[in-house]
Amino acid sequence: MDAGANTYLIRPNYKDKFKAGAVRECVREILREQLYGVQYNPDEVPTLTTSLADSIKNKLRDMGFDRYKLIVQVVVGEQRGEGVKMAARCFWDADTDSYAQEIFMNDSLFCVAAVFGVYYY
Amino acid sequence: MDPVKKITKEDTWRSDDLKVHIEAHNEESKRRSKREEEHRKYRDGESLDRRHRDPDRDARREKEKQRERESTREKSKHRDPDRNRNQDDKLGDIREDRYKERKRERDNRQGDEEEKGHNRGEKENSERRRDREKDRYKDRDIEVHNQGDRGTNREGEKDRDRRRAERDREPKSETDRRKEERRDREKDERERDKERERERRERHRARESEQRRHEYEEKQRDGERRVRRSDKEHSGHKEKEHRREREDREKRRRDKESHVAHTSHSREVEQQHQERKESKDVFHSIKDGDREKAREREERDKRREKGHKEASESKRSDRERKHKDSSGHDLSERINRDKEEPTKIPQLTWRSIQAEMSDPEIPVENEENKQSSKDHNDYEEDFEDYEEDFEDVDEEEDDNEEEEKEEHDKKLREVKRELSPKRREEIEAVQRAIDEENERIYSARSKATTAESAVTQRERNSDRSRTHGKIIDFVSAKQREVSQKVAKKQKQRSEELLRLIDLDFSITFSLLDLPPVNEYDMYIKNFGTANTKQAYVQCNEDNTDRDIQTEEVNMTDKWTQHPPEANAACGGSKASEDSADESTSRINTNSQRLTAFLRSAAQVMAVLIEENMAESNSVKRLRSQTDALSFSDGCIQLNTKLPFLHGRQVSLLQFSQVQRQTLLSVHPPSSKSSAVRLDSETIICVWNIWEPSRPQKILLYESEVRCCCFSPGKVTLVFAGTEIGSVVVWDLREHSGTHVNLVVGKELWTLRYPTFSTDAVLSVVGHLSPVVSIEPVLATADTSSKSTLTADIDESLGLSFQLGSLDENGVLTLWVVVELQKGNDSGSQTDLGLRPGGKVKLLHSSSLQTTEKSPQDVIMGFGPPVSLQLKFLPSDSNHYFICTNMGLVRHGTRHSLKVLPKLYRSQFDSCRPVEVTALDFSPSGEPLFLVGCGDGTVRLHSVLREDPLMEWSGCSSGASILSVQWSPTRPAVFCVLDAASDLHIWDMTVKDHVPFVTENIHNDRVTAMAVFGEPAKQNTFSGVALAKQSGKVEIQYFKESLTVPNAYDKEKLKSFLDNAF
Repeated sequence: MDAGANTYLIRPNYKDKFKAGAVRECVREILREQLYGVQYNPDEVPTLTTSLADSIKNKLRDMGFDRYKLIVQVVVGEQRGEGVKMAARCFWDADTDSYAQEIFMNDSLFCVAAVFGVYYY
Repeated sequence: MDPVKKITKEDTWRSDDLKVHIEAHNEESKRRSKREEEHRKYRDGESLDRRHRDPDRDARREKEKQRERESTREKSKHRDPDRNRNQDDKLGDIREDRYKERKRERDNRQGDEEEKGHNRGEKENSERRRDREKDRYKDRDIEVHNQGDRGTNREGEKDRDRRRAERDREPKSETDRRKEERRDREKDERERDKERERERRERHRARESEQRRHEYEEKQRDGERRVRRSDKEHSGHKEKEHRREREDREKRRRDKESHVAHTSHSREVEQQHQERKESKDVFHSIKDGDREKAREREERDKRREKGHKEASESKRSDRERKHKDSSGHDLSERINRDKEEPTKIPQLTWRSIQAEMSDPEIPVENEENKQSSKDHNDYEEDFEDYEEDFEDVDEEEDDNEEEEKEEHDKKLREVKRELSPKRREEIEAVQRAIDEENERIYSARSKATTAESAVTQRERNSDRSRTHGKIIDFVSAKQREVSQKVAKKQKQRSEELLRLIDLDFSITFSLLDLPPVNEYDMYIKNFGTANTKQAYVQCNEDNTDRDIQTEEVNMTDKWTQHPPEANAACGGSKASEDSADESTSRINTNSQRLTAFLRSAAQVMAVLIEENMAESNSVKRLRSQTDALSFSDGCIQLNTKLPFLHGRQVSLLQFSQVQRQTLLSVHPPSSKSSAVRLDSETIICVWNIWEPSRPQKILLYESEVRCCCFSPGKVTLVFAGTEIGSVVVWDLREHSGTHVNLVVGKELWTLRYPTFSTDAVLSVVGHLSPVVSIEPVLATADTSSKSTLTADIDESLGLSFQLGSLDENGVLTLWVVVELQKGNDSGSQTDLGLRPGGKVKLLHSSSLQTTEKSPQDVIMGFGPPVSLQLKFLPSDSNHYFICTNMGLVRHGTRHSLKVLPKLYRSQFDSCRPVEVTALDFSPSGEPLFLVGCGDGTVRLHSVLREDPLMEWSGCSSGASILSVQWSPTRPAVFCVLDAASDLHIWDMTVKDHVPFVTENIHNDRVTAMAVFGEPAKQNTFSGVALAKQSGKVEIQYFKESLTVPNAYDKEKLKSFLDNAF
């Protein structure tokens, strides 16, 4: 309980701030790279989603976002004509925390990748 | 083993202290509870103050007193327990353990029992100290802890106990001296001690947990030290550190004490403590270095045991008596302790802390030694107590004052309850009450202390949890400890941060909204494109894939400049091509205009070529024929040798007033049959005298044409009056395609029928007799009939002009020539005379009966008057002049106004049956006109006079005059043609009685004559067209003498007029 430890950085530096646009671009790139022409295969999708999430996370790590906890959620589903709705709700500090999401679709599958950046004070 | 021994010494001191305090307080509290209840409040305050200020001193004094008292009083009171203890000692530790277990099972206040056991144990320990039987020591440890729970409140007391123990071991003279001195002091403080004892008794009845709350108070007071200590504890070496700290504290206290009382003694104590510290440090280092748990535990155990033993021994030496007293009966002991403990409670905290510190060791011992269940129970209880302590620490920090009061009250009750089986319940009730009191006090407590207490509380919590972990596994416990520490830090961090941060619920983000697709769309999506293939994409700006094929935009550089320089207004690489393209396209778009242009241009070109040919021909001819006609300067023969004109005579020749070179020739049907079946029809040819080879237009009409004329302006219309009383119009502008095209002799001829004919007009308004004359009514009547002027006016008027036609019965009909804006190819339903597609029609304007039926004429039996020719006065078109068969020229106006002279008659007789065949106004503007009569006379009339100015009768030798015409170029020259085919040319400037030239053309009779000439132009020419009987038409050019006007002409005419008046 040093007195010195009680100073907190409750706002990220501007350059480290979670930039939804950049993240979105990054995610889009990854999704396009890895999902282009991929057919939905229920056996492979679990590994696919985890690998996607990992690659997104790793790539985002390289982008900075110091002191951010990054939560990557990847959902891959088959396109069979059903309606799908996904929504997210967050309890967070809207000043620092944000999210980015990207949708990839081809004929056989759709993929929703959502990245939540939660600032770690 | 030196360090171990020293450590054990300390430990023993603790236990000794406990016992001493317990006993002392028991006695004191008993005494004081009876005597000094009145002084409670005051003392409570004092005691509290003392605790805060200088607990050490107070404690010291109390301990000394207690010791004295214990030695005397407690022996008597607690003989039975003492005996029991002695017995227990003999029985051994195991028995004690069992005994304690039983007691605990029965009683919540295990602490009491433990104390008993402890007392016993202490005695035993003192006796068997060197034996170091671990089991016993453990028991004792527990006891010590229990006692500590109760009695550590006053650290000072402990210190003194330790000192005493030291004294016991060391030179006793010092301790004795000290005791004596202290006793003196203690006597003063006995009253206070008693009060405390009472309080402690009450608390003692309550659970140990509550007592430990007091420990926290104490800790808070010692907070600074403990904070340090707790930090060290976190590092995992709590026990030793605790010990060290304890020693430190003790040292300090001792220092104080020594300064106050026995400095020499305190020095010794300090030395001992230092030794102990050193030993601990050494051990600590060993422990740090050596991670083997088993060894560590053993060492620890030994140390603890030694400490316990030593402590118990050291104390025992002082308290053997007491123990004997108290070791008798459990219950009696309990009572005593109940009394004792309250007094100790304020002092207990320190011990309880020690106990807590030692707790972790105990489980280890349990594991290793697998001792009696009693031990476990003890530990468990200890833990429970700890937990409770932690819960209530804050509350109990300040409750001392009020607790003491309550405890006094409860003490009485407790005394009664001592032997009752329901003791437990009562204790609980008391505890509850105490809790309430504590809460109250806590609220009144100063903030600074609470803050401290909060810190210590946290530390203690962590301590406790850590100690739990160590029971199972040291490493994992340490890890857990670390993690817990981190967690705690984070928790605190989060608490502080939460104050700074606002967390809120975000809006609901819609990550994906994929609407369901209906079956058809799905099918189309999957199979709809199965048989299709995308060849190209027409355009997509964003897409740069190779599939895209977009035609490149053609771009060329151009420049433009205004105003244009050197005939170049624009330019560029492909400028010329483009302009060429543009011109062609223009031509294409204006093809109709072009054809129209070409047509007219071709006409002009044809005329020019023909003129050139004709001129060359005429020159030859003129030369050949100059002999024939004296007046002639040259001759052109119109090509009338056309198949359809074969065998026809020319009945009439007529020049246009404006376009003087344009000639009408009327070819009436002939009796001979021609090759072309146009026999019954009259043919009118429109000639350009410069283009004599062929007529420009060929007009047809079914019946004979008696008269014809051109429109007053340009030669666009041709009017004709017919034998059957109709007036017809040809529009020369009509396209040839709408007319009959006849191929005759490998040549295409366009035969035009009239555009409009009055034949279909109601007979009421038409002519009932043959139309003998037709004349356009010039709007420019007031001018002196200048042809140019007329033409201009005609231009301005357009084609809207009037036409007068006269029939034989003297009916003058005026027609309005109307040009329609648009022709109707399907014909008109109202204008039945209008040819389909025709644009010109005649509207009947008015009719005049110009002849008067004179009875005179009828009587004379000359037959009906016949009108022969119509002329309008060139200067005023309202005036008309009509030639009659009575040798008269009738003068009238269109509006029936009276005009003078009414008649123009011959010089000699007023009325005789002579036809006036010809009438011509002077084109020079003079109001003169010539009249030719059937009897061969020619008269020159002035408009103003009835009588003629001149009358020539003998020149034609009685032959009928066919035509009289003025020369357009020379005012004083006129031509006369008579029926004998004699052509007389008069030049009045030369001869005014006889013709200047008389030419007899007898080999081919001349049937018609027309004079032409262009007066206004420099290249003046004039001539006469002669229609021969054979059907030929000759155009004779006058010699220059007859053509070029001279000054005398007008003078001659004026002289005529002057002579007349």
